[in-house]
Amino acid sequence: METEVTRSFLPLAAFLLPLAGAVLTMPLRRISARVRDITLLALTALAASVAVWLAARVAGGAVYEIYILQLTPDIWMYLRVDALGALFGATVAVLWMLALVYSWGYMAEGHRLGRYYSFFMLSLAWTMGVAYSGNLLTFLIFYELFSILTYPLVVHEQTPEAMAAGTKYIIYILVGGSLVLLAIVLTYFAAGDQTLTTGGILSAEIGQQRLFAIFWCYIAGFGVKAALVPLHGWVPDAHPAAPAPFSAVLSGVMVAAGSFGIMRVLFQVFGVELLREMGVMSMITILAGFTVLFAAVLAVNQDNLKRRLAYSTISQMAYVVLGVSLLGFDSTIGAIIHVTNHAFMKGGLFLCAGLFIRRLGVHRVSQLDGAAKRMPITAAGFAIAALGMIGTPPLSGFVSKWYLGLGMLETGNPLLLVVLLGGALLAAVYLLPIVYRMYFREPVLTADDKITAEGREAPASMLVPLVIVTLLTIALGLSASLPGMPVSLARMAAETFFH
Amino acid sequence: MEVVDARAALAPAISLVCAALVFASADNTFWRRFFSIAAALAKLVIVMSMLPGSLRGVVYTFKLVEFTEGVGLAFRADALGMFFSVVSSTLWLITTIYAIGYMEREPNRRRFFGFFALCVSTTVGVAFAENLLTMFLFYESLTICTYPLVIHDETPEAMKAGRKYLIYTLTGGALVLLGSIVTYQLAGTMTLSQPGILPLEAGRTTLTVLFVALIAGFGVKAAIMPLHGWLPSAMVAPTPVSALLHAVAVVKVGAFGILRIIYNIFGVALLRELGICTWLAGLAAFTILAASVVAIFQDNLKRRLAFSTISQLSYIVLGAALLTPLAATAAIVHIANQAFAKITMFFVAGSIQRATGKTTVHELAGIGFRMPYTMAAFTIAALSFIGVPLFAGFVTKWYLSLGALEDGAWWYALVMLASALLNAAYWLPVVYTAFFKTAPTAEVEVHEAHWTMLGPTLVCAVFVIILGATVSVPGMPFALASAAVKFVFGM
Repeated sequence: METEVTRSFLPLAAFLLPLAGAVLTMPLRRISARVRDITLLALTALAASVAVWLAARVAGGAVYEIYILQLTPDIWMYLRVDALGALFGATVAVLWMLALVYSWGYMAEGHRLGRYYSFFMLSLAWTMGVAYSGNLLTFLIFYELFSILTYPLVVHEQTPEAMAAGTKYIIYILVGGSLVLLAIVLTYFAAGDQTLTTGGILSAEIGQQRLFAIFWCYIAGFGVKAALVPLHGWVPDAHPAAPAPFSAVLSGVMVAAGSFGIMRVLFQVFGVELLREMGVMSMITILAGFTVLFAAVLAVNQDNLKRRLAYSTISQMAYVVLGVSLLGFDSTIGAIIHVTNHAFMKGGLFLCAGLFIRRLGVHRVSQLDGAAKRMPITAAGFAIAALGMIGTPPLSGFVSKWYLGLGMLETGNPLLLVVLLGGALLAAVYLLPIVYRMYFREPVLTADDKITAEGREAPASMLVPLVIVTLLTIALGLSASLPGMPVSLARMAAETFFH
Repeated sequence: MEVVDARAALAPAISLVCAALVFASADNTFWRRFFSIAAALAKLVIVMSMLPGSLRGVVYTFKLVEFTEGVGLAFRADALGMFFSVVSSTLWLITTIYAIGYMEREPNRRRFFGFFALCVSTTVGVAFAENLLTMFLFYESLTICTYPLVIHDETPEAMKAGRKYLIYTLTGGALVLLGSIVTYQLAGTMTLSQPGILPLEAGRTTLTVLFVALIAGFGVKAAIMPLHGWLPSAMVAPTPVSALLHAVAVVKVGAFGILRIIYNIFGVALLRELGICTWLAGLAAFTILAASVVAIFQDNLKRRLAFSTISQLSYIVLGAALLTPLAATAAIVHIANQAFAKITMFFVAGSIQRATGKTTVHELAGIGFRMPYTMAAFTIAALSFIGVPLFAGFVTKWYLSLGALEDGAWWYALVMLASALLNAAYWLPVVYTAFFKTAPTAEVEVHEAHWTMLGPTLVCAVFVIILGATVSVPGMPFALASAAVKFVFGM
């Protein structure tokens, strides 16, 4: 396919706008909380528009790039928007914007809002950088910064559980980051600085042993973020501890950043041919397949709603790695769009979980009986996202699973369909009972809790983001075959990977 | 291209003049401050005026006196020396301003500022020394000039630390002198202007012994384990002194001496032939890890800083000992990277001590909300030591890891990663305590330090980011490091 590379400030703008928001948060609060909220929303909306516009242009065959800083004499900080990055960037920016609006309501009585909002905006900036990184060192910079500087968000509530989760988080993340650094240093030493454009930077000439060392460093390093079992330990603790809007982006895009890193590295550092030659991908397939089922089984038994959703994330993100590990064309498309689809579905589920916490004071699945009567819109949003997660047509979750399934057959792995369907079935087992409780059980009211039978639907500022992600889940499923939609971008990306 | 230029001698001399004026200004606060700052500025201007030429490849030389044939006091501002003096003269100005704020109510300020100026004079003397003798002279003077600073408080503890300091460093100095004489005898010259002067014909045993003596001599100040004992004790000194000792002058002079010995006396080719540097690298790696492990258990902030310094200095030694161009780049740029980050931390420790009287980590709960700018600067320095990208420390970590691979010694890349994690283990808890723990309620009002202390802290923190983010800022000495590496490796 013909691509024209254009120099453009837009990728940089998508990164600088939220950064400006982070810097302005504290000064704007001096004027008023309202001015701060509106300005942050404006900046984020602008960044999201830029990201979506870039995605649309990239879908039309354009590629954007910009050199920012000379990091070392021979390496630049370099942004490059290709199909894979454009899709991830647009997903990130849109979900972040919705989570920001939701934060207004959710965090209304919260403490240290200045810290919360500025780090919230900072993480958006770093994540946009991750999406648009054009070479490995740039990627590493943004990846490390966003991993480390999200710590204040994880521990925001500052309860003892949050602090413990934060410590666990930072240890996992630092060790994972070190492994990624090591892998990148090894790559750089073997191949020099190269942009992430070609179908592979490394070649078999550097020696089997070194290739394997680099490979496993990358997988282990990114695997921590992507929550591959057994590196997933931080996820089930960090999600329940964090504020709900942050859980939404944590689950929706931050875990996905690990999978995104794995995709970048496997397709654009190693390249499909080299990976086939190395013959290691079957091990990744097994690891990812195991993660899908193992985490899903664990999710079934969690009574804490956010914890259950966290295990669901581990399971669902392993689908992405599973799809990538098959090295098939269709399975790659499935993996790429599953990042986007999962982001909105899981984002929606966490937004619902936050609403249950704020409006009903409910953290546990077993307390959700009859919630649909009191919060009909929230419950509907939850039900739709849950169905999407299970893979019900025509919702977006179905599309990704469809492509993944096609890929499994295409690469001659029909047995893996058991994993695919098993994961979906288990998703039904851990999500549908919640829907059932909400709709078909009568609320059990105790005297001492504040739960009453009357309507408790959330304020508009919290409902609107939920409604939008729900609509996105539906729309991304219905419109999957239209040009300019995630599938077409994913197809473009896959075409460059597989020539 | 070599040019005879008096500025090479003037740069060390200016602080000498200043010191004299400070001593002469009796107890007049205004003139003392005026001379201190004027001299720091003058020196910075002189050094910076040489920078453009130096970046073009000009080497400024100046011969002061010649005792006998080829032995004398001579100065030579090559790329490596310029790098060191740009860093130290920039930091001297910043530290002087901080010291004026910090020492406001201390006794004996004349002695303090006088010797403070002398220290920097001798540091630049070491940087610009053309031969080992000149270097030795300034190296020894530095020992003597810092003694009054270490014992400034004149408590029994300080006197004891001062004694320890003198014993360690004078012994090191004696070894350097011994090594210089042997070098002269073997090579017929002591010049530091060549990429190696010693011949292999001198004999492997002789050369090995000489190497050990010289490295041990400079290694005392560079605090290579097990020669580091003086450094944590010397923490009794006032904070600006600690900053000067541990970030700029004393320890860096030791590390710089080691660079000179490896690159200009022995030379890379000879050392590869001798194979002795693998031992030095091993020792440096041990120091990096061991000192960090000790640091984790220090509750006193300045002691934690001291052990961190010991660990960080060995990055320089390791980079030098790996004998590859990329590792050498790491070693040289780490002189600046460590200096700015470490001095930031010392400034923070001093500001906290002045504002609250607190010296231990566990007392710092919630201080981030009372002194937000100070602790933000601390956080930046901490991230730099951990080696987070875009901060200065990352540049070192990156080049040192690449240098280790270049040498085929990949396990040193693992040492770098382990060290980064250890740094996280002892710096992040400080940040955590400051920002995420609540302060005890019954506490008196605490505010940010005076601007003379806060300003320098923030400036250093900004430098940490600039050094880490880019090499393309004009006046940033990365190009000097590259030039020095090219000269040393004959590229």
